[in-house]
Amino acid sequence: MTDADSDRRGPTATLFATLLREEWRLHVRLFGGWRFALFPVVVAGLSVGATVALLRTGTASERIVGWGHLLALGFGLYSGTAAFTGSDMLEGVFGRLTFVLSSSETLPLSRRRLLGAFLLKDGLFYAVAFVLPMALGAAVLSGLGPRTPGLVATAWLSLSLVFAAGMALTVASIAARSRGVPVWLSLPAIGFVGVLAWTSGYGAILETALVPMVGPPTSAIGLSVATVAVVAASLLCYDPTYGQPTRTATDRFARLCNRLPTDDDALVAKTLLDLARSSGGVWKPFVSAGVLLVLVAALVGVVDAITGIEPAPGVFFGGVLGLSAFTTYNWLTQFDSLEDYLVYPVSVPAVFRAKRIAFVLVGAPTVAVPYLAAVFWFEATLVDAVVGAALLAGYASYYFGLTVYLAGFDPNEFLFDALRFGAFTAGVAVPLVPTLVVGFVVVPPSTTLALALAAAGFVLGVLGYVLSSWAGPRWEQRYRSGVD
Amino acid sequence: MAAIRVDELCKSYGDVRAVDGMSFGVDRGELFGFLGPNGAGKTTTIRALTGQIRPDGGTISVLETDPVAEPLETRRRVGILPEQGSPPSFLTPREYLEFVGSVRDLDPDLVRRRTDRWADRLGFESKLDTLHVDLSRGQQQKVMIAQAFVHEPDVVFIDEPLANLDPLVQERLKRFLVSYAAGDNAVFVSTHNIDVAAAICTRVGIVADGALVAERSLEGDGSGESLLEVFVERVDEAGARDLPTTDELADD
Repeated sequence: MTDADSDRRGPTATLFATLLREEWRLHVRLFGGWRFALFPVVVAGLSVGATVALLRTGTASERIVGWGHLLALGFGLYSGTAAFTGSDMLEGVFGRLTFVLSSSETLPLSRRRLLGAFLLKDGLFYAVAFVLPMALGAAVLSGLGPRTPGLVATAWLSLSLVFAAGMALTVASIAARSRGVPVWLSLPAIGFVGVLAWTSGYGAILETALVPMVGPPTSAIGLSVATVAVVAASLLCYDPTYGQPTRTATDRFARLCNRLPTDDDALVAKTLLDLARSSGGVWKPFVSAGVLLVLVAALVGVVDAITGIEPAPGVFFGGVLGLSAFTTYNWLTQFDSLEDYLVYPVSVPAVFRAKRIAFVLVGAPTVAVPYLAAVFWFEATLVDAVVGAALLAGYASYYFGLTVYLAGFDPNEFLFDALRFGAFTAGVAVPLVPTLVVGFVVVPPSTTLALALAAAGFVLGVLGYVLSSWAGPRWEQRYRSGVD
Repeated sequence: MAAIRVDELCKSYGDVRAVDGMSFGVDRGELFGFLGPNGAGKTTTIRALTGQIRPDGGTISVLETDPVAEPLETRRRVGILPEQGSPPSFLTPREYLEFVGSVRDLDPDLVRRRTDRWADRLGFESKLDTLHVDLSRGQQQKVMIAQAFVHEPDVVFIDEPLANLDPLVQERLKRFLVSYAAGDNAVFVSTHNIDVAAAICTRVGIVADGALVAERSLEGDGSGESLLEVFVERVDEAGARDLPTTDELADD
């Protein structure tokens, strides 16, 4: 960019353009240009494929549109949340992640303006790279014709609006945190408002507001105004001088090491203490698994309402809840990097081994609690509950191994690499889809089927162990060659 | 036998030759300064010597270990203070040094005693129970210095040792490094700071564009030429990329 360009644009526009360019280059450097550019194609393929599959199984178009918007809201909450649950990353947002954002310390730019530009950039970036390909699924709903471009455009705007609303909620929690309000308070607050709306008969209004393309224009306008108002109020409320108060802790490292019956106890203990002492504490993985449980339970209800079929809860929840392995592993690697360990006499495979042990210690209760809640709530038979538990253990191990093998120490970053994302999606779908189909078709599972499913869980569990064991040498070679 | 031996070391990242045929040696008892402009290949050399990256060519030896073939054995025997030396962590300095002692198989009581000694030497006693992430950059640097020496290694690699430290601690650390090297250890200091190198090093190597362009003993050197003059002249002669020439500096 030339000086003349900057002069014409003004500082905010220049800042905005620079942030966009930085975002693009960050991803291109991480994955290479074509692998990042292909990411929207993969998302579009998944969106179209899922829509076709749902239509073929008799799901109503309105339901598909509703679920799409719910997903967009969830992604909006997630992507704006560098600081939602893991709010220690808030400080990292300014300085560590991007060069431009740290410029408030050296240039006459306010942090509020930077945060505003950053959010606008993020919103536009995700709207184009993620929400637009999602919206292409709408083309399947109407069939290809002269109305298709208009429908896709409407779906895009509608999904983008809901996505932005999700981001706005996150930003509000960031702003509240900068005023000393604990972030976790926002979770029950949002839940309380949702339940209140539903029980007081305003649920339909809430549903209409969150799916603007099917509601009246006033609901879309209302959601737009509310989103802009929440963001504006959040930026005003945001305290740019906020910093974490200094925290102290008693020495727990040695005691924890002594309690761990492993060879890599120091590495495991460090991971566990990092998790426990960062914002959200040990509850972060539970929250992630809880969100997954609620989504799956709602899906079961929807399918039951449409088809009159209730799945075998053990098999169904056992298969799906294993996916929380991804988020749990993500939390376990959030606060360190592999390079940090290379100054000690510690091998990369030993670091991955320690992460696997920490994953078992944290992941087991994280999935056991929602799984037990699901099998009791949906009244699973004993055989179904037992085989579901076997599936849960095996599939969680497999998803963990798959994530570690493909993404190494950076599970979040690989989401935007088309190749890795595609490989991960295929790796998840291959065992999960047949399991879910079986869970719906054979209710409750016969003894023979239960044994076969338990065997599948065992085999996948072993495969996960093997994959996570291979990850060490694979990533050690990459790091030592200077690739990453 | 040299504590550190480097012969024709090469390392490239894609098309960029970060280190290009580097050769030098460091003996026990030496405090060797590794001087060079930004991007000269200093950090890459340290990472190769400590087994963190695999070189493309050449041979290296540290305390008679091969960092390429046996990186863990090399790292077991040396101390490393990395340039970006503050791993984000929610351990306290006390716990962090226990962690380092544990991965280095040190006796916990010994680690406790050395932790107290280092906290006293660098002045972070009052911060021993503060979470590492909440320490200032200077305090984090002090903790990282302590971890590099907690096992009293025979060879220590230090990348920019005085970064973020206050003048008092800088002086204490400089004196410590001199005495540590004098105790039959080798201290390898990578720095941009010529004054620091001139004050504490027994010998320096000057690098530019991945190659060693000069070596100079600072003990009893009677050439009359200052280290800064030698540095500017040699780097200028090497035509290091992206650096102003002495003529350009004179014009300024």
